Amino acid sequence: MTLFAFLQDNLARTLFLAWEHVWLVGLSLLIAMCTGIPIGIAITRSKDLAQKVLAGANVIMTVPSIALFGLMLPILAIVGHGLGKVPAVIALVLYSLLPIIRNTFIAIKNVDPALVDAGRGMGMGKWRLLREVEIPLAVPVILAGLKTAAVMNIGIAAIAAYVGAGGLGVFIQQGIARSHETMILTGALAVSLLAIVVDLAMSLLERWVTPKGLKI
Amino acid sequence: MIEYDSVTKIFGIGKKAVTATDNVTFTIADGETAVFLGPSGCGKTTLLRMTNRLEAVTRGTIRVMGRDTMEMDAQKLRLSMGYVIQQIGLFPNKTIAGNIAVVPRMLGWDRGEIRSRVDELLGMVNLDPEIYRDRYPAELSGGQQQRVGVARGLAANPDILLMDEPFGAIDPINRDQIQDEFLRLQGKLKKTIAFVSHDIHEAIKMADKIAIFKDGRLVQFDTPEAILMRPANKFVSDFVGADRALKVLGLLRIRDAMNPEPRNLVQAGEDAPGVLKMMEAQNLPLAFVIKDNRPVGYVHPKLLKYEQGRVGELAEKFPETLGAREPVRDALSAMLMHDITAFPVVDDNGNLAGTISYRQIQKSILDLYADDHEESKIE
Ligand SMILES: Nc1ncnc2c1ncn2[C@@H]1O[C@H](COP(=O)(O)OP(=O)(O)O)[C@@H](O)[C@H]1O
Ligand SMILES: [Mg+2]
Repeated sequence: MTLFAFLQDNLARTLFLAWEHVWLVGLSLLIAMCTGIPIGIAITRSKDLAQKVLAGANVIMTVPSIALFGLMLPILAIVGHGLGKVPAVIALVLYSLLPIIRNTFIAIKNVDPALVDAGRGMGMGKWRLLREVEIPLAVPVILAGLKTAAVMNIGIAAIAAYVGAGGLGVFIQQGIARSHETMILTGALAVSLLAIVVDLAMSLLERWVTPKGLKI
Repeated sequence: MIEYDSVTKIFGIGKKAVTATDNVTFTIADGETAVFLGPSGCGKTTLLRMTNRLEAVTRGTIRVMGRDTMEMDAQKLRLSMGYVIQQIGLFPNKTIAGNIAVVPRMLGWDRGEIRSRVDELLGMVNLDPEIYRDRYPAELSGGQQQRVGVARGLAANPDILLMDEPFGAIDPINRDQIQDEFLRLQGKLKKTIAFVSHDIHEAIKMADKIAIFKDGRLVQFDTPEAILMRPANKFVSDFVGADRALKVLGLLRIRDAMNPEPRNLVQAGEDAPGVLKMMEAQNLPLAFVIKDNRPVGYVHPKLLKYEQGRVGELAEKFPETLGAREPVRDALSAMLMHDITAFPVVDDNGNLAGTISYRQIQKSILDLYADDHEESKIE
């Protein structure tokens, strides 16, 4: 059976799985962003805290995804969510935190101290300085972190099919189980294509939200 | 007015403690520019940063307009003073207008007010608002950026300006120009300015008073003339350099050294024989020829001998005219270049204001030096 024929027969299912995949990655990215960026900013105020938080996020990163699902299973089983979308989203959020926190932290830290000094010397408060100077200048690097997290999570989400989270990984998992090569190939190609598209889209977004004065 | 009263700043504690400012007391009067001068690491920046509380004072008091800064809200204090730094620190994500508007916006000015103020300030620092208002800092040269930095410091028209080596990062030619522009501006604005510099030339040029520091201590606080002519100790005289008499020439204005009522003037319409007779009688080597109160040239006895015409037609022209406001250095330079030992001096309208000779220059320098060195007075 050719790839094309397979797609023709399973178009609705493919689109649904792709949508599920995007939804998993998108939701977890949103959650990670809403927690990771504030954490990244907060830890710029304390060197000690920054070291601990970054080391912690690093440890999470080193745990293989299959192992992480296995570790979470008994814990989440207590609340009846050992399998399915909940462990998938939690894992994806955890993996996203490191690139997001790290990039936010580095970006804010790397703002030219002369700018911070000038701002403070003119009477800007902490919040105003963050809002008007530090965050706008950090945006490109923060977005690069989001991009890394998104592309990485598209791959990890494919593995989440093993805990019943759905998504394009289903094709790969079922294809392996049934020795259905075309099915595996479809899943693999679709995941790769998704990663490429998201990467491109995020690059465009990055260019779009970078303050104009930084592009000169 | 800024009063430093026994101000001490110690960074760190225990063995690592560094005394950056050591029991410093002096006052910057209203409308005056005080330059904090001294070698790198002597505590100039620290003292400046304590003034707007970017650093906390360890001991002592800083009063601004009579109020103890520690009793004021730090942010309000900073909003009331302009702050200009060597690194300029323009926000790259904001336009030039946006950068200048930072403090007015924090003070709640309305949009129209801010816009007209931005244009006014750009004009003041010689940048065309139409061209530069909507540009970004990255599109400007270093000199232009620092002009914007100065405009930003002046934005809300503060009475006090704190400047930390504001022209330090600009190439020498541009620096000279921007210093001149700033002096002209300050002549009108009369701000009270604390200005950090490590450059003696800049200090002499910009300062009403110079505060010289060494290892956090104030060594001398005085006018540039006094610092040059009467250095408090060897450290100061070494710092100002062996050529300090030459530096005084750059500081002294011609109007302060010239003879405002010269006797050796003759009118252009007078006859040569009469003038010659007068010059010989009074033993004058040179006379200035004047027409309608403007200098037309000079005559000397040799030139007038056997001549019958009017001195106006016989006079030699001066190769240069000297303005009363120009530094004495320029007068001396003209004398050396043209081998003429006396020049007429004109006011802003080109009318004769006086004359200056080599001997007068020498005398005014000796006078300055003799102010409180009576014993060494040379007559
Ligand atoms: N934040 C700081 N922490 C510790 N030491 C400092 C700090 N700022 C300045 N110093 C020290 O204080 C002294 C004076 O520094 P500074 O005021 O910057 O000198 P200047 O501006 O005259 O070059 C130096 O010895 C410097 O190392
Ligand atoms: Mg300094």
